[in-house]
Amino acid sequence: MKSSVFWALVRKDIYVLRGFMIITVAVGLAALVGMRFGRIGFAIGGILFLTANVAGGIFIAMYSLLTERKEQSNLFALSLPISGFKYDLAKLVSGYVGYGIPWSVLTAIGLAGYFMPYAAADRGMFVYGLVLQLFVMALFSFVLVWLFVVASEVLAGLVILISNICFSLFMVTLNQPEVTRPLHSPHIVWTPFALWAIAGELAVIALSTALALFALSRRRDHLRSL
Amino acid sequence: MTQQVSPQAFALRGVSKAFRYFKLENLSLELPLGQILGLVGPNGAGKSTTIRLLMGLMTAETGSIEVLGHRVPEQVAAAKAGVAFVSDDMRLFSGATLAWHMRFVASIYPEWDEAYARTLLKHFNLRAEQGVKGLSRGEHIKSMLLLALARRPRLLILDEPTSGLDPVARHELLTELMQIVRDESRSILFSSHNTLDVERICDQIAFIDRGRLVDARDKESFLDRWRRISLDVPSGVTLPRLKDVVNLTLGEQLATLTTDRYEPALDAVLQASGARITDVQRMSLEEIFVASVMRSRAEVQS
Repeated sequence: MKSSVFWALVRKDIYVLRGFMIITVAVGLAALVGMRFGRIGFAIGGILFLTANVAGGIFIAMYSLLTERKEQSNLFALSLPISGFKYDLAKLVSGYVGYGIPWSVLTAIGLAGYFMPYAAADRGMFVYGLVLQLFVMALFSFVLVWLFVVASEVLAGLVILISNICFSLFMVTLNQPEVTRPLHSPHIVWTPFALWAIAGELAVIALSTALALFALSRRRDHLRSL
Repeated sequence: MTQQVSPQAFALRGVSKAFRYFKLENLSLELPLGQILGLVGPNGAGKSTTIRLLMGLMTAETGSIEVLGHRVPEQVAAAKAGVAFVSDDMRLFSGATLAWHMRFVASIYPEWDEAYARTLLKHFNLRAEQGVKGLSRGEHIKSMLLLALARRPRLLILDEPTSGLDPVARHELLTELMQIVRDESRSILFSSHNTLDVERICDQIAFIDRGRLVDARDKESFLDRWRRISLDVPSGVTLPRLKDVVNLTLGEQLATLTTDRYEPALDAVLQASGARITDVQRMSLEEIFVASVMRSRAEVQS
């Protein structure tokens, strides 16, 4: 082999997903800029930032997995000298890399904003931003893994529906006054809620990845259609 | 990556795979190196399942599979290093151009022959910079064939490759395939229900129907052994019971007998019974295929 088929497939996926990745970052950055223009700008920018993060993740997960199955280009990829398990693993890695890059850029720039002088009074909201961004990554992991596992369009739609419900419930919980009040502070305060939320989010990411690896290792027929 | 020396391009032994409404049963099939095997069967016969098992895309429930000396699925990546596979229902990545695919495949296979790829590009009248989305069905298949052929595989597996091609492109492809096997170390598995294509290029032929191998042998022995004999049977004459008769159609005075083990001695036996042979016809591969499948189905039912 001239180059590793595994990494060639990951690079291929990143190439195919580049449009979604660029759009996610561009919309997210534009939203962050918009958030600096008064209360309305903050509200619209905030919604746009979350939308870029969440929708970007769902599009990347769906396009990376379902489109290849639907268009039957997975048959071409599986004709290359790679085992079925490694092909699936390459999809998992490229899904995380494809979303991880724009997510990391937006998270780093978004959270860095709390350390700017203009945000000094609300620096404690850094924790809020971190909890929110980790939830978005946990949600992406959940969607990606279940799209790996399910084999029908209806079930794939159900996974996305469940993820939307989870996101709405989480936002309602996160925006309760008793949760946000201690965070409106010039100092970073790690509240018990924040710590439990971060631990839960990291656990969801880890468990999702483990579940995906377990499901892939047991799969005997790697050609899935949708 | 070292490849073991094996006298067979592939060997399936006692392979079974069950689905909800279909079962591939106890399939044993081999392809010697340097030969073209035509896998012929009606739709839903098990051709694609057989190929997917060979490619390690599915795992057999029983039996063993070896491709280019490597066990499948245990050593499937090593096996596939020497195999190129093109299927009627395979598609390239829609967001990329053919040129991108050529670079992609070239980055994986050390045997990639760029000059040959350029020749095929002209030969198939394809444009490398064209996006895959804009390719017609025929152009798509030709693009996949280019990517498969230019990597100079030891085993080329083609699942219904000519189904989307116009007659000229089909002719070009078949000619190209015959060129490839001039190199005696290269082999082709060609699955199709188009018996004309198979008859034109294949050395070995296997008939498959309803998940069972009906018959497999070299093409010449198929064509040599099968005959349709027309007989004039005067009243009062009874034809002898012959064990190698696949089909016998009796009219008022005319009879047509199909056999899969024709020998000139059979003529003498028939004439000795009082019947007069009016014609002995060689059968086309399509006729042999249909007769074989019908006999197999009758045997299964009985």
